[in-house]
Parts: sequence; structure tokens; C-alpha cells
Amino acid sequence: MNNENEFTGADILLKALKDQEVDTIFGYPGGAVLPIYDAIFGQNFLKHVLVRQEAGAVHAAEGYARSSGKVGVLLVTSGPGVTNVVTGLTDALMDSIPIVCISGQVPSHLIGTDAFQECDTTGITRPCTKHNYLVKDVSKLSETIHEAFKIASSGRPGPVLIDIPKDIQFAKSKYISKKDISFREHRIKAGSKNVDKNFVKELVNHIKKSERPIFYVGGGCLNSGHQASQELIKLVNKTNIPITTTLHGLGCFPGEDKSSLGMLGMHGNYEANLAMNKCDLMINVGARFDDRVTGRLDAFSPDSIKFHIDIDQSSINKNVKVNFHTNTDITITLKEINAFIDSNNIDFGDKDYDNWWGQINEWRKKECLHYEQGDEVIKPQHAISRLYELTKQKDTFVTTEVGQHQMWAAQYYKFSKPNRWITSGGLGTMGFGMPAAVGAQMANPDSLVIDIAGEASFLMNIQEIATAVQYKLPIKIFILNNEYMGMVRQWQELLHGSRYSESYVDALPDFKKLAESFNAVGVRAKNISELDDTINEMISIDRPVIADIWVDKKENCFPMIPSGAAHHEMLLSKYDKENPENQEKGKVLV
Amino acid sequence: MSSTSVYPTPINAFKQSKRSVLSVIVDNEPGILARIVGLFSGRGYNIEALNVTVVDVKKNLSRITIETLGEEKVISQIIAQLEKLVPVHSATNLANLSESYEAEICLVKIEFENEEQDQKILNFADIYRSRTVQKRQNFVVYEISGTSERINKFLDDLDTIGGIKVELVRSGPIGLGI
Ligand SMILES: Cc1ncc(C[n+]2csc(CCOP(=O)(O)OP(=O)(O)O)c2C)c(N)n1
Ligand SMILES: [Mg+2]
Repeated sequence: MNNENEFTGADILLKALKDQEVDTIFGYPGGAVLPIYDAIFGQNFLKHVLVRQEAGAVHAAEGYARSSGKVGVLLVTSGPGVTNVVTGLTDALMDSIPIVCISGQVPSHLIGTDAFQECDTTGITRPCTKHNYLVKDVSKLSETIHEAFKIASSGRPGPVLIDIPKDIQFAKSKYISKKDISFREHRIKAGSKNVDKNFVKELVNHIKKSERPIFYVGGGCLNSGHQASQELIKLVNKTNIPITTTLHGLGCFPGEDKSSLGMLGMHGNYEANLAMNKCDLMINVGARFDDRVTGRLDAFSPDSIKFHIDIDQSSINKNVKVNFHTNTDITITLKEINAFIDSNNIDFGDKDYDNWWGQINEWRKKECLHYEQGDEVIKPQHAISRLYELTKQKDTFVTTEVGQHQMWAAQYYKFSKPNRWITSGGLGTMGFGMPAAVGAQMANPDSLVIDIAGEASFLMNIQEIATAVQYKLPIKIFILNNEYMGMVRQWQELLHGSRYSESYVDALPDFKKLAESFNAVGVRAKNISELDDTINEMISIDRPVIADIWVDKKENCFPMIPSGAAHHEMLLSKYDKENPENQEKGKVLV
Repeated sequence: MSSTSVYPTPINAFKQSKRSVLSVIVDNEPGILARIVGLFSGRGYNIEALNVTVVDVKKNLSRITIETLGEEKVISQIIAQLEKLVPVHSATNLANLSESYEAEICLVKIEFENEEQDQKILNFADIYRSRTVQKRQNFVVYEISGTSERINKFLDDLDTIGGIKVELVRSGPIGLGI
């Protein structure tokens, strides 16, 4: 009974991946995926990147997806292989990143017997995926894979997992190609493609009436595609309305543009947070009123009419009640708004919001990101500023770990294009940045990819430097080494009486030697005079580089809205001359 | 005149929790119930009652009825979250429909000791039009259906009879929007 139209489950998987135009997969082998690894052997359309721990595979897939706009794919074995990716799946779910995770499972007849390396994969990953499958019948495999890709990338994107028992990988069936599958609409949930004309009309009317409008833009704008950002730029230029973005929205609008107020939220700019607090019209484009953005809810932008564009129905009225909303895709909606303005010859030229901009420019005078660089110790803010100045001419992708360095990167590195900024926002996963850089470099082999890291976070997935070396990925790890879990130390200083409980990172490795032992390159800057040269050297080396930048150990990240405080209850840095007691006052907040 | 309270009663401090009955149509596939239950427990919503059965064998659909408690805002969020689940076709709050019907079924076994109790039980059973499933010398089994409220009342009434022993099972409400 050898039917040549029939293929093994493993071959079907590869055919489906090819059909989905997947050319890169991050993975780690094990018993329950050996048939798939056998199929990978000796083919040449799919490049397999062998990571050093499965967590690396999932973050690499995230970095790949974020930097390319494509679906990231990974392959892991059963049991510990898949439990190692739970953090990354949750990360992708929180940050709406499209990835497909293929996991091996023990053979069907052993499921439920506590077999070797068996775990309840679909059970464990159900709450941390957009959807997941256990494939019990090889004839359903093709359809399942195609649906998984469709679900991962449609509507609000997210991670999808397919668990394939080993016997299914051997069993044979026909392959059904992508074009022969008709998706069931209710399962895909692609969001509406119909413009909400009333929403558009109301919005334009409100823009005309308002005196203090603001755009509040989030990662949804990124996920809607490059065109969304172009339409947004058009709209902002037409209306002269100030715009602030969330951590994930950075890059959707050029950070150096005069209309940009920069990032808002817990470590957002003074002018951005105050403008949100005082505005009379808020236009939310693909942001989700996260608690790190809103601060204390009852004091969040009390006097504004709120419009919300979000493809995810459950993001509407979840934390903040809005006056108008639409679930239609951002690109489609923004395009319609622009078209409506053009076709009705609406001119905002006379409006210009002079008083509003005057007020904003007053707030800007606070220079909330001001710092003073002395002539010895490197200030971390300065390290990022210099990194930006010395790399801005290149097509640079920046990933980060989690902590102060991440916030300084968001504040001082300016992005002019979407998809260049890859960070773990919703989950705040230390150890994200390095593997994410591996993924971003795989997707963008000719670009400069930098992981802005903290020494503590870097240690969490340090093994992936070997992956970078093996695949000759010239990623740069730019460590702001403060020998502290700086963000933890900052909270302890401000909120826990400077009791630095377990936040000092003792027994650090020598990062230069460590780089060398991995066959990467290590460079170091110990003081300000070495900073520029070290950065330039790092950029010039066409290999993976670890740059160990020794920075001020006690620097804090400001502005800061302590959690539970309101936007106007912001703590400013010690350089803020007008309000030297800010820090003292801050301790009673939260 | 009534006395003034030594402490003011905070009227708005109590959230306006309301009972809602949600009707959910889903693909009948493995894990769907776990997805729904997980959504409720993971996000801290209440499930007061839950009922699931296949309703369309050909199309492989099940209807799930969930009774839940929450403010209106929470209920809308639950519906939005339910509708995000891949196998979910639709989720409806029956209270938002102009016309819907609700029923619950209860089987109750009542043990009694004397004639007087038997008479009282019979009387209530008659008022509530419960069907006798079985009757023996010292116990009776009834089937009663209707809204949950109706069953609650029946059980409350039974409770007024001293000295009897009641054992029961309830299906939880099921509902249909018209
Ligand atoms: C996996 C994980 N564990 C713990 C935390 C809590 N946390 C947030 S920031 C931080 C310290 C990070 O230190 P480092 O990487 O050195 O960055 P720095 O703040 O010093 O720039 C910790 C422990 C986290 N975000 N992720
Ligand atoms: Mg640190």
C-alpha cells in the first residue's frame, strides 16, 4: 500500500512550512521530534537555527517576527523542551507577536501514562497561546498547520502551538496545500475590514472642535503594517496634533519629529504624560490602556473625549471607558480618515492648536530627560545617546533586555521606522533581548542589530552567544553594566528605604574574556574617554561582539510615575531644579 | 424617625454585581471546555453554573450556558474574551435580547418520617407542578423545572417543613434567545 500521494507527518509539516514561505526555523532536537529532524536533514529550503536552550528559540522567533513582519517559527521536543518555551509564548501573547511553535509529543498510545518526557503540553500552554492543537490524526495535520499560521497572523496576532505526537510524525496521509484550504471565518477572527464611516466622521468633527487633542499610539499600529505608520504620519502632518507613543509604538512615528512627544507612561516624558492628563480629545491608535501607561485610573485623562481604534474587541472599554471605538484594522481606518479629510477639503491650517502647543512647549522646557555627564564615570543615558548618534546613519535594529537600560534605550534612542525596536513590554522578560537579536539578525542579515542589555538580564540567556557565533550573526550586545539589578535597586531606593535586598549582582563574569571563550569579541569602556571609541570599534567588527560598558552604578531612571500614582504625580530626576523635593514626596505615593 | 447611623453607608462601594446568563455556541472539539473554564478562572470571573451539550451533530456544534455574576462592564469583557477563543462562534448575554427563555431542571429526593410531612410535600409539589419520578413508603423523588428562581423558591418552601431530608441535583440554567 505505498501510495506516492501520501507523505509522513514529518514531511507534511515541511511541505506546509514551505507552502507558508517559511525559510527559517529556530529549534532544539529531542526524542519526540526526531522524525521531523530527519525530514529537515537533507533538504535545503528551510534553514534551521540550532539554539542553546529552547527559551532562546522562542525569543529568537519573536525577534524574527517583530523585525520582519512575518510569522516566526520554532521547533521543540516534548516535556522539558516545551516547558522551556512557556515564558516566551506568554511574552508573545502579551505583546501580540505572531509565532508558530511546533512541539513533539510522546506517541499517541502513551499519552496519559506519564511516559518519559510527557507533559500536558496543550494544558500547560492553553492560557499562554492564542490557540493550540494536539494533532491526533495525520490527515488533519496539513489543515491544522495552515490554520495555525492564519490564526497567528490575523486580527490581533499571537503565538499558536501545534503539538504533534511522534507516531503522527511517522503516519502517512495526503498533503493539502494552503490554497486548497477554506478557512472558517469564525475561527480566524481577522477583525472587520469595513470602515466605520460614522466613527471617521465623528472623529474628524471632534478634531475640528477640540482645543487640546493628542494621538496615543501603541503596538497595534506596528502590527497593522508599515502602511499604518505612513497613514499616521500623513494624518499628524495634516492636523498638527501632538503624538505620544507607548513603549511598543516607538518607531511608528519618527521619534525626532517636532510633533512627537516621545514615549508616555511610567518612564515616559513629562510633556507626554501631562498632555495626556490635560487633553480634551484622545485618539488611541492600537494601544491598550495598560496600567504602566495609565497610572492611577481614576485620574487618567479626566477631561477628554476618547476615541479608540483597536482590532481586538476585548481591548475596548477593558480598563478605560471610551466614547467612540472601531474594531476595524488601523491601516484601513487611518486611510479612510485621511481620505475623508481630503475629499471634504477640511483644512486644519487655521486651527494649529497654538495655545495647546504653547502649553506643551512650556512642559518641554523642563527637559525631563536632561542629565549631566561628568568627565569620568559614564552616565548610562549618555551611553545610549552616543550609541544612537554613532549608529543612526545605519539601518539599525535594537532589541533590549528588561530593566533601567531598557527604559533608557526607549528614552534616548530615537526610532524613525517601525519594526526597528524590539523589546519585551507586556511580560517584561529578562533574557529576551539577546535571542531576539539572533532572530532579528537572521531576518535582516545586512543590518546592524544591537541588544541593549543589563548585565543581570544578559546572564539569563547568555548561552545564545554560541548560536550567534555558530551562524556568524554579527549581533552586538551593548551592556550597561551597573553591577546591579538597576531597576530593582531603584525601586528599593525610592520605595523601600534603600534596603538593597538581593539586587547587587555579585561575582559577575569578565564579559570580555567570556566573549573570547565563546569565540566572540569582547570590548570594554571603563570611563567616558573610552566610550565613543568602544562603540565605533563594536560597530566595525563583523562578528558577534559583547561591549561591556561600565556605567554609573547608582543612576536612576526618570521621569517616573510610581505605580498607583497619576500622570501628574510624576517624579523627576535630581537634575530638575524647579522641584528638588520631588523624590522625597514620591516615597509616600504608591 | 429612624436613628442616624454612626457610620455612613457607602452606597457606591458595593459593585453592582448582576446575575447574567450567557449562551455560547462553540465548535465541539477537545479542550473547548477547558479553554472556557480556564478563561473564567484565569481572569477571576465567577461561574455560578455551567451546562454543555452538543446541539448540532452534523455541524459539530455545542451550546454552552454559563451563569455568572458581575458588573455590566465585567460581563461585556467576558463576552469579548469568549469571542476571542478560536472555537467560539458567538457569545450572547441573554439579558440583552428582547426575548429569551430560560429553564433549569432539578431532581430532588425527599425522605420523610410521617404522614403530615408527606402531605405538606405533596402540597408544594402540586403547587409547583413537579412530576413524581418515584414514590416509596418513606421517600419521594420529584422532577421540577423552570427558571432557577422558581426552583430556588420550591426548595425554600420545602425547607419550611421540619424533619425531612433532601438530596438534589440541578442542571444549572439553560437558555435560548429568540
Ligand atoms: C525573568 C525576570 N525575572 C525578574 C524580573 C524582575 N526584574 C525587572 S528589572 C530587573 C533587573 C534587571 O537588571 P539588569 O539586567 O542588570 O538591568 P538594569 O536595570 O540594571 O539596567 C529584575 C530582576 C524580570 N523582569 N524578569
Ligand atoms: Mg544592571
